[in-house]
Amino acid sequence: MVIPKAWRSGGRPTAVHQFHPVLAPGDAMSNHVFALRAHLREWGYESHAYAVEAKPGVEGVLSYRRLFRAARPTDMLVLHFSIGHEVFDQLAKLNARRVLVYHNVTPPEFFTGLNDHAAVHARLGLRQLARLAPKIDLAIGVSEFNAHDLGEAGFTNVTSVPILIDWSQYGTPPDESVLASMSSRRTRILFVGRISPNKRQDELIRMLAYYRACVDPEAQLYLVGPYRDQPQYHARLLALRDALGLQAAVVFTGAVPLPALISYYRRASVFCSLSEHEGFGVPLLEAMHLGVPVVAYDAAAVGETLDGGGITLPTKDLAEAAETCALVAERDDLRKRLIVSGRRRAAEFATEVVARRTKEVLGL
Amino acid sequence: MAAVVDEVLAEVRDRIRRKREAGVYGPEVDAALRLPLPGGRPLFVEELDDPLPALRDALDERVEYDPRSRKPLVGPFITVARRLVMGLVRWWIAATGERQERVDRLTFRALMDLRDRPNPGFDERLRHLEGEWSRFRRDLVAADLHSVYFQARFGGDEPVIRAQSERFLDLFRGRHRVLDLGSGRGTFLQLMRDHGVGAYGVDLDERMTSAARARGLEVVAGDAVEHLEGLEEGSVDGLYARHLAEHILPGELVTILRLCRRVLAPGAPVVFVTPNPRTLSVGAHTFWLDPGHLRPIPAELFRFYLEVEGFEDVELVTFEPTEGPKLVETGDDAMRANVRLLNEALFGDRDYAVIGRMPYLAGGPSSRGLGGPAPGAPLHPRGT
Repeated sequence: MVIPKAWRSGGRPTAVHQFHPVLAPGDAMSNHVFALRAHLREWGYESHAYAVEAKPGVEGVLSYRRLFRAARPTDMLVLHFSIGHEVFDQLAKLNARRVLVYHNVTPPEFFTGLNDHAAVHARLGLRQLARLAPKIDLAIGVSEFNAHDLGEAGFTNVTSVPILIDWSQYGTPPDESVLASMSSRRTRILFVGRISPNKRQDELIRMLAYYRACVDPEAQLYLVGPYRDQPQYHARLLALRDALGLQAAVVFTGAVPLPALISYYRRASVFCSLSEHEGFGVPLLEAMHLGVPVVAYDAAAVGETLDGGGITLPTKDLAEAAETCALVAERDDLRKRLIVSGRRRAAEFATEVVARRTKEVLGL
Repeated sequence: MAAVVDEVLAEVRDRIRRKREAGVYGPEVDAALRLPLPGGRPLFVEELDDPLPALRDALDERVEYDPRSRKPLVGPFITVARRLVMGLVRWWIAATGERQERVDRLTFRALMDLRDRPNPGFDERLRHLEGEWSRFRRDLVAADLHSVYFQARFGGDEPVIRAQSERFLDLFRGRHRVLDLGSGRGTFLQLMRDHGVGAYGVDLDERMTSAARARGLEVVAGDAVEHLEGLEEGSVDGLYARHLAEHILPGELVTILRLCRRVLAPGAPVVFVTPNPRTLSVGAHTFWLDPGHLRPIPAELFRFYLEVEGFEDVELVTFEPTEGPKLVETGDDAMRANVRLLNEALFGDRDYAVIGRMPYLAGGPSSRGLGGPAPGAPLHPRGT
């Protein structure tokens, strides 16, 4: 990675703006944008977040159209890419310092035949990413895994900087009603992430069937995350849950506000991920930060994000995953060890550390 | 952390094995773990693992499209417009679809044909390789030698072998279905029959099996691994294998041990007898008298194989002291002690047996303390 010469000779940028097609409250991508905006302002830069669509609940987001008028050649424009959108092609033509932050696009194969709309979007997104490569001055993957994908897509000036998370908000008091709803006698297996076929919640449900048959007949699985984007997959997950007779054992919470999310983490016996594609995996970090032991199938960026902070499963074997969760839930020494190593790993993503790295990479 | 993960995974696999043995993790749980996602085709990422059957299904799939828009106010207009456009371009789409259909079906047929079509060049090379390989395996162990003649010259006296086997008799007493792997002339089987123990043998060499059958013994001609694979779980209650392990590759031995773990009943004894390479005249000389011997197996390694494959109470016994002249113990005490050590190293016991026992089952699905030893009669012959 090099800081482009034109940036160095041009001095400090006059403003640093960010764009993502959709900004919504509570989603990891948007949180990253807002946390970075706060830091940029703190560092004395004019900084705005632009979007095509700002969902209710987010504040201070401007329409992307204003960028076409406002952008100056000495401004820095940070494009966050996690989904294809025609506006990227237009913004990449603006005369400004163009940075692309890649949050990864879920491979279309996960949606094909299930949600063709999502598959088409993902495929278009990947094509668009490759098309943007020559127009971007600096490309940043939020993980090494993503940085590697950027290289494959044809980007040349590539580096990686983790997602910026504002950990101070995790001090919010938990939602008492959620805490009360989760019995502390049973094993509580938690997974956080939108309901989506790449996250393989179906495998978690099957795993729970093993867990209840062979380990703890009262175990519960909490699937925390919105399901609106993948109604077909969600419907089939419900059918799978019913076919396995796990109606009362699997809880789909839908999207939840932060205090409730914190409660789910607080009460979880173990955080288990069988996801097959993660560009970064913010919930893994959240779990480690909040002291939940993590067991995760080693796919995409998962191993890199955990990096010894939890147990990574080298192969997808549901019985092994379940028994690993069982060991973690039953054995205090192992559990404590995992919590300590998780906290240590999460500390490497401290807000200030990542902010400093971002500042350095952007040449600010 | 990596060490912790390895440790955890080893324990996890052990727990799963025990639960399988205890029947807690049975076919029903297996079925649950494999239950397809209801309501449609499997996930495409799964189909990619086995694409040909999925491709066949995909060819017959209908494309569903709902033109109705759910947007407020403008929705009905969008729906009408979509329907109009669909009607207008229907024949164009149909023609394009038809062409695509033709291409898809041709591609599928071509793929299937390619898969099934004979490929003369490839087949020729494969035949050649297979020939080479079987010749190598044959030459490696001089399989063309007539083992009856070989046995006659080097195989040892039957009464001696019988006397050797007798030391294991107590282990198998009262058993109903003991398997002798590599049963040869049937010496062990005869011994078992004489003492009322139910036993049968398996041997690769058909001349050996027919000779044993002529003595009225139950013997199957065939490969040990294939035979074990065909057996029901827990259908055998003892295993004896004399001078088999040194004839097979280490991986094959491990495979046999794993299969034994499946087919042997809880508590069943296993006995493997093999030349003792610790005795130098064996390791350096007599072991190699049989061209079929692939490699000597140190007793410690054999014991490790059994332990690591889950057999319990594993024990080693050596026997068959070397006959013939030895170094004479003369001189002072130190000298005599040295000569004795040298005699042991050079002319010690020629064979050893590694003896183990299948674990007993413990009931219940508890994840801890499964498979612990259950009370039972002492297994091992003492004073051998």
